[in-house]
Amino acid sequence: MKKLLALILVLVLAASVVACGGNGGGTAGTDGSAPAGELKGEVTVWCWDPNFNIPAMTEAARIYNAINPDAVINIVETPWDQVQDALTAAATTGVLDNIPDIFLMQDMAFQRNVMTFPELFIDLTNTGIDFGQFAAGKRGFSTVDGKNFGVPFDNGATIYAVRTDVLEQAGYTVADVTDVTWSQFISVGKDVLAQTGMPMLSTTAGGGDFIMVMLQSAGVDLFNADGSPNIAGNPVLISAIETYLELVDTGVLLEVNGWDEYIDSFVNDNVVGTISGCWILGSVQENAHAGAWAVTNIPRLEVAGGTNFSSWGGSSWAVTNVGNSALAVDFLKHTFAGSVELYETILPSTGAIGTWAPAAASSVYAEPHPFFGGQAVFADIVGFAGKIPQINVGVYFYTANDNISIAVSNIINNGADITTELQAAQEATEFAIME
Amino acid sequence: MQTAKQEAKIKPFFTMTRKRGLTGWLFLSVASALIILTSFYPFVRAIEMAMYSGAGTRMQFAGLVNFQRLLIDPHLKQVLSNTFLFLLVQVPMMILLGLILAAMLNDPKLKGKGIFRTAIFLPCAVGLVAYSLVFRQMFAVDGIVNTALLTFGILDTPYNFLGTAWSARMVIIIGLMWRWTGYNMMFYLAGLQQIEPSIYEAARIDGANVIQQFRKITLPLLRPMILLTAIMSTTGTLQLFDEPFNLTNGGPGIATRTIAFHVFNVGFQQSPNLGYASAVALLIFVIAAILGLIQIKVGDKRW
Repeated sequence: MKKLLALILVLVLAASVVACGGNGGGTAGTDGSAPAGELKGEVTVWCWDPNFNIPAMTEAARIYNAINPDAVINIVETPWDQVQDALTAAATTGVLDNIPDIFLMQDMAFQRNVMTFPELFIDLTNTGIDFGQFAAGKRGFSTVDGKNFGVPFDNGATIYAVRTDVLEQAGYTVADVTDVTWSQFISVGKDVLAQTGMPMLSTTAGGGDFIMVMLQSAGVDLFNADGSPNIAGNPVLISAIETYLELVDTGVLLEVNGWDEYIDSFVNDNVVGTISGCWILGSVQENAHAGAWAVTNIPRLEVAGGTNFSSWGGSSWAVTNVGNSALAVDFLKHTFAGSVELYETILPSTGAIGTWAPAAASSVYAEPHPFFGGQAVFADIVGFAGKIPQINVGVYFYTANDNISIAVSNIINNGADITTELQAAQEATEFAIME
Repeated sequence: MQTAKQEAKIKPFFTMTRKRGLTGWLFLSVASALIILTSFYPFVRAIEMAMYSGAGTRMQFAGLVNFQRLLIDPHLKQVLSNTFLFLLVQVPMMILLGLILAAMLNDPKLKGKGIFRTAIFLPCAVGLVAYSLVFRQMFAVDGIVNTALLTFGILDTPYNFLGTAWSARMVIIIGLMWRWTGYNMMFYLAGLQQIEPSIYEAARIDGANVIQQFRKITLPLLRPMILLTAIMSTTGTLQLFDEPFNLTNGGPGIATRTIAFHVFNVGFQQSPNLGYASAVALLIFVIAAILGLIQIKVGDKRW
C-alpha cells in the first residue's frame, strides 16, 4: 500500500511538473546515416557501478568526442533499481521528459521492459549497427520479435572460478572440472569435500538464478512459443532441479542466505570456487590467494543440447524514444558497436569484457592475468561467450524465476515432491500471465 | 434617520466569532489540502487502477476481474497467513511487554530510569535497513547467535535460522519486538504520568498488591493508550514490508512474505501488473479497517 501510494504520489507530482514545464523535445529521426553536421546537442546516459559501467561510458564519451566534438555526453550514475522505477513511472504516467536518451539495462529485464513499455524504446535494427558482430546468446536478450532494441555491453558469460591449490591438495587439476558434466563435477566435488572439507561452490538459497543458468546452458527457456509457461514436466528443468538438489544434498554446493554471505563464502575461503557471471571476477580478486585461481567453463546438463556455456547478469544499452535519439544511436554505433580502442582501454582498468567480436581479437584480451596464475582469462571468457545458447526471456521471466525458487525452496526445506511443486509453479506463473 | 438605523443594524461581516472560525479554517485548509492530495486522491486513484489489468502500460479496463483474481491467487493465502501470524503473535506480545516495561520504569524510586528508558526506546530510532542487516548478520549460519549456541554446547552444528521457515518467522518477530516495544512503551509511560499517584497510594492502603494494582488501576486507566497502540501496531503490521524484505527477502520460499511484500512483488518486482497490485492493496485497506473497527468497539467504552 505504501509503495503504491508513493508511486501514485510521484505520478501526481510528475504530472504537475509537466503541466508547469511544458513539453520538451520531440522524437528525432533514427536514420544512422544522417550527416554528422546534424548530430549535435546533448545525450544523457544512465548507468550504475562507478567501478565498471561509468568509467566505460566515460571512455566512450571521450572517444566519441574525438569524432564528433559537438556532442555532449552527460553521464549520470543511477542504480539499476532506480532506473527500473523511473522507467515504470515514466511509462505508466506517459511523462517521458525525465528519462535519459540512453540507459543501461539488465539483460534479464530487457525483453520485459520492451514488451511492457513498448513506447519507450527505439528499434535499432536498421540504424547501421552491425548486430551480427555481437555474440548471439548475448544479443538475444535485447531482441524482441526479431528486432534489436539494445546494444549489448558487458559479458555475462558464466564461469567457474576455482582455487587450483585446493584442487591440487585433493589430487585434481582444473582439467578435471573443465568440459565436464554435472555428475562428473559432483563426483570430483564429493572427493574434494571429503579431503579438504570445502564445498566446490556456493549460491544463494533457493537457487533460482543458478537453475536458470543451467537451463540456458541447454538452450531451454521457461516459456513455450505461444508464451505459456513451460515449467511443469519440462524435462530439462527437472534435470536442472535434480542436479541442484544433488549438489545441495552432497554438500558440494553450499547454500547461503544472501548476496553478502555469498561473496563472503569465496572471499573467506569457505568454498573452493564459484559459478557466476564473469563480472564476479572483481569480487573473486578480494580473496587472499592471488595466483592460485583459475577460470574455466561450467559443467553441463546431460540432456540433448547441453553445453558448458551459459550467461548470468550481463547488461545492454537501450536507446529511448525521447530526446536526441539520432545522436544517441550514432554515439553507440561509434563506440560500443564500433570501437576496438574503447574495449581495449576499459578492459585493464575495469575488467569490463564486451561481447563485440572485433574487439576480442585485440591483443589486450590475450594478456596473462597474474591473479589467475597467468591465465589469459579475458580471451577465454570471450571464447565462452561465443558459445552461449540463445534463449527467449520474455515478459514473465522474473515471475517464473520467482515461482521456481519457491518450488526449489519447498523441495529442499519441506521435502516436497518435484512434480507437484513444479505444477504449483506452473499455475502461479499462469496466474500472473492471465490478464 | 432610516439609513442611520439600518447602518446601526448591519453588523460588520468579520465578527469576532467569524474571524476566529475563518482563521481556524485557514490553518486547517493547508493541512486538509495536503491530506486530500497525498492521501485521499491516491486512494481514489488506487481504486480506479484496480479496475484495470495488464502488464506495464498495456492496461485495459477489466472491471472487477482483479477482485475475482484475489480469490484464486495461489500465493495470497500464504502471504495472508504469514501476515496474520506476525500480527497475532507479535502485536499482543509487544503490547504486553511494553506495558510491563512501562509500569516498571514508572517507579519513581527506580535508579537510572533515564538510561533504561532511552535504551529501550532507542531501537526505533535506528534505521530499518541498518537494524535488519544487523539481525541478518546475527542470525547468519556463521553469525553470533550460532557461535554462542555452539560455544555453550546447545547446538552441535550451526542452525540455518533464516533458511528455515519457522525460525525465519521467529527472527522477524524478534526483530519487530526489539524495534517497536520501546516505541509503544513511550506511549504507556506518557499515559502513566497522567494517573494520579494517590490512586495507587489508596490501593496500597487497601492492601492491593502490585499485580492487582496493575490489573485494576493501570490497565483500565491506560485503555485509550492501549487502544491507540493496538490500532497503530495492527495497521503497521498489516503493511509490514521492510523487515521481511531486508532480513529474509520473503524466504525461504514465501514463508515470510507478507501481503505488502506481495503487492510490491506483483506491482514492481515481477512483470508489473499495477492493476492487480492495487486490488491487493485495497484488500489490506479493508482488513485494516475491519480490524480497527473491531478494536474500537472492544476497546473504547464510549462507543
